[in-house]
Amino acid sequence: MADFNSITILVNGVTLALAVAFIIILLWSDSKKELNQFFATFLLFVVIWNGGALLWQAFQQLDLDTPLFSIAIGLTELGFTGASVAVYALTAVLVRAHTPRFRVLAFVSLAFIILYRLFAIFNNTTPYSNFDDYAYFQRQPLVVAFYLIFDLGTLILIWQNRRKIRSLGITLGLTLFVFGQTLGFINPELQIFQFSLVTSAVAALMVSFSIVAQEIIKPLAERNSQVEAIRRVSMAITSLASIESVLDQIVAQTAELLKTDGGVSILLLKDNELETASTFRLPKTYMEARLALGQGVAGTVALTRQSRLIDDYGRNWRGTLDYPLARETFGSVICTPLIYGGETIGVLMVIAAKQGRLFQKEDLYLLELLGAQAAVAISHSHLFSDVEYAHNQLETVLISTESPVVALDRQYRLIFANRAAKSLLSSVWELSVGASLRDLIPVDALPRDRAEAVRELRRHGTYTYEVSFGDKVYLCSLARIGHPRTTGWVAFLNDVTQLKELDRLKSEMVRMTSHDLKNPLQAAMANVELLRDDLLESSQHALIPSIDEIDWQLQRMTRIIRGVLDLERVKTGLVRLESCPPSRMIGDAVNELTQFAHSHEVRLVVDVSDSLPNVKCDFEQFKRALVNLLENAVKFTARGGTVRVAAYARENTVVFEVSDNGVGIALDVQPRIFDRFYRVQQKGTEHITGSGIGLSLVKTVVENHRGSIWLTSQEGEGSTFYISLPSVGKNSYSQ
Amino acid sequence: MKVMIVDDEQAIREALGRKLKRDGFDVVLCGDGLESLRAFHAERPDLVVLDIVMPDGMDGLTVCRRIREVSDTPVMMLSANAVTEEDIIDGLNAGADEYLIKPIRLNEFVARIQALLRRSQMSVSDTEQRYDDGYLTIDLHRRRVYVNGEQAHLTPTEFKLLAVLLENAGRVVSQRDLLENVWGDGYVDDVYYPRVYISQLRRKIERDAANPHYILTEHRVGYRFEKQTPSVTP
Repeated sequence: MADFNSITILVNGVTLALAVAFIIILLWSDSKKELNQFFATFLLFVVIWNGGALLWQAFQQLDLDTPLFSIAIGLTELGFTGASVAVYALTAVLVRAHTPRFRVLAFVSLAFIILYRLFAIFNNTTPYSNFDDYAYFQRQPLVVAFYLIFDLGTLILIWQNRRKIRSLGITLGLTLFVFGQTLGFINPELQIFQFSLVTSAVAALMVSFSIVAQEIIKPLAERNSQVEAIRRVSMAITSLASIESVLDQIVAQTAELLKTDGGVSILLLKDNELETASTFRLPKTYMEARLALGQGVAGTVALTRQSRLIDDYGRNWRGTLDYPLARETFGSVICTPLIYGGETIGVLMVIAAKQGRLFQKEDLYLLELLGAQAAVAISHSHLFSDVEYAHNQLETVLISTESPVVALDRQYRLIFANRAAKSLLSSVWELSVGASLRDLIPVDALPRDRAEAVRELRRHGTYTYEVSFGDKVYLCSLARIGHPRTTGWVAFLNDVTQLKELDRLKSEMVRMTSHDLKNPLQAAMANVELLRDDLLESSQHALIPSIDEIDWQLQRMTRIIRGVLDLERVKTGLVRLESCPPSRMIGDAVNELTQFAHSHEVRLVVDVSDSLPNVKCDFEQFKRALVNLLENAVKFTARGGTVRVAAYARENTVVFEVSDNGVGIALDVQPRIFDRFYRVQQKGTEHITGSGIGLSLVKTVVENHRGSIWLTSQEGEGSTFYISLPSVGKNSYSQ
Repeated sequence: MKVMIVDDEQAIREALGRKLKRDGFDVVLCGDGLESLRAFHAERPDLVVLDIVMPDGMDGLTVCRRIREVSDTPVMMLSANAVTEEDIIDGLNAGADEYLIKPIRLNEFVARIQALLRRSQMSVSDTEQRYDDGYLTIDLHRRRVYVNGEQAHLTPTEFKLLAVLLENAGRVVSQRDLLENVWGDGYVDDVYYPRVYISQLRRKIERDAANPHYILTEHRVGYRFEKQTPSVTP
């Protein structure tokens, strides 16, 4: 008995000391935590009970018979009974099965026990002198009921939530504690009460160790790995890797951080649907799954933008399924929305295996932390890949084009040159990005009229000019980079060597053909004239009309050929821009056509002021254009009609206007009338002859002069053609 | 008056020849360049009508230059080939007095020939004008021009042009007036002529044709002959 007592004293002492130590550690670590508060309460009762038991043992050893003896027994009783209530409360908190009402109930019960015990101590009618008395007391129905209710409750809680208690030590400790307490009732005769006390004390220590390990030591140990995992996720953000690798990294890191025995899935919102973007240790078929907003846990989280923790998917989730067979295979699930810039972009879901680990609130916090990082990573990756995609696309287009493209900054440093540009220019320059080309650009490669180029670039943003490298001719289009401040220029070179050659060949063809036609025409015309003279001499007048018709047709052919050659001349000839007075050009043109108009019985009316500013033009070329325009107007005007030619100043231009009251031009053919060889086919024009060149020539001339041409026309009422040319100051011309 | 027609197209030269004969000219017809040069020396025509594009190696321009080497005989180019102003100027630079583009009406052809003949035979003796500044000497009466002591060979048109300018020395002669007075009525639209002949003339009489002192251009108006003081010249 003595041995047994000494062991009891030892156990009680150690338990007492450790319990006090645990209380201090707990309150120091986090006194606000609910679990800690309940744990501390439990430890307090353990301290009371072990303190009481220690006193009791000590008094018994010393054989002291004092009132303190019954106080010691009372304290033991109080602690022991209180501990049974506290252990129930602790278990409830551990398995998170408590409600606010439960806490009130637990404290009321404790208060009741304390009061009852104090009452028993101070109305000490039958002080206990030995354990038999005590054992008798122990069997009082009220006490037994207390023990049974709470111990049984604890056992039930443990069994129901055995998966929620992560530590085996806690489960075993609690079970042992209940077993130890219950042991005391089995048979008082067995003098087993002391054994019950020792067992319970050891169990209490076991529980305490496990809780401290789980709540304080383990989190501290895990903090490092968590920080490391978050750091890795952050690295993924800054790596700006492709979206796929970012997603794969996120799911892998999440799985590792949350130590899930199931899988991880990340779903991204696309067109109001969640699309599984990446998974970790989940069936491949899940990758094809799409969820509507509000469907499944993921859909609900995306819709409500609230994280969710589900202890058991099969039992606790009442909504629609996320994935096929989810109810059968998913255990605990945590899910957090991915929000970037106030927009939900997807959800991150961690799934534990059925009967696997159970996620805690802390896990959810951790997931939310990861989710925030992941959202940033995904969004950045998206933005980056969008930009890169656009950039690549543009670069591919520029690189693959056969036309040389070169971009320079304001300091003439090379920004970009595609392959074609490099092969074209490498013979001239060593091309490398960043190199300054200021002194390397041949003068020929720059626009001839630099001031004009700058003006055009400022006004329209582009400027096109011709440039030759070696034996190739390019049409170089310059464009400004940057707006409103110019940061550089891009030059797009179009190889027109072949076109030029083709154009030259065509011109050559036209010349040859015209030449070959002109000789036979000359011979035919000369002979027709001779024949006519012969006929007149021999008085064969009857044949004259036929000869005249032949002559007329030959003249017509001549005019056509002349028109073609005129156009060719205008197209290839250089324009000599001079300051010319509009009135004189119009006067000359009208003079040239007076005879023609007279023969068509069309009146020519001129309405030009002498005070118009001069225009910049090639006098002869532009006069030819006016003649063509007038000739056209006369031709398409019925006998007795009027052709009016006018000129007036408007802003920095002089507008020339040729109007007739002839047949007019139908709206649908108006855009085509300036085309070469196009002839209007409409009612009332069948008898009019022409080559279809006149207006084409006019347009070419006007373009050569950087002017513009347009018309207004009403079918059956007449047409008005307008030409505007840039003017040069006031009339400075005199003759 | 004897006119030589050089054209490789038989139908053309015969038709033109018939017309000229009918109007009272003597006519020599040639089919190619070399033959025409031989005929030129043998027949001594008063005027030559030259086609430009001819086969057999010698074209109208070459024939014209060869003729110019030995004679001031008026030459009229008749070409189907002219397209650009430059083509016309090339022809005039080869020494032609006139450049006509095919096809041309017979009446106009004859009128042009008559005008050209008139120009070349025009007497300016009545003016009795003479200019001499030591460097440039112009004797209108004898139709002689000396540059730095050496005789310069001017074509009839060039000489006529110089004469008109000299008669109006110090005054601007407009393009139109030049065309009317030198070439004749019906030429007012041939605006290339003065430009080309003035530059020819400058090449023959100016020290530096690019920087003329005698014949000055009045922009878009015309030309002016400026007499130099004798002291200026060496």
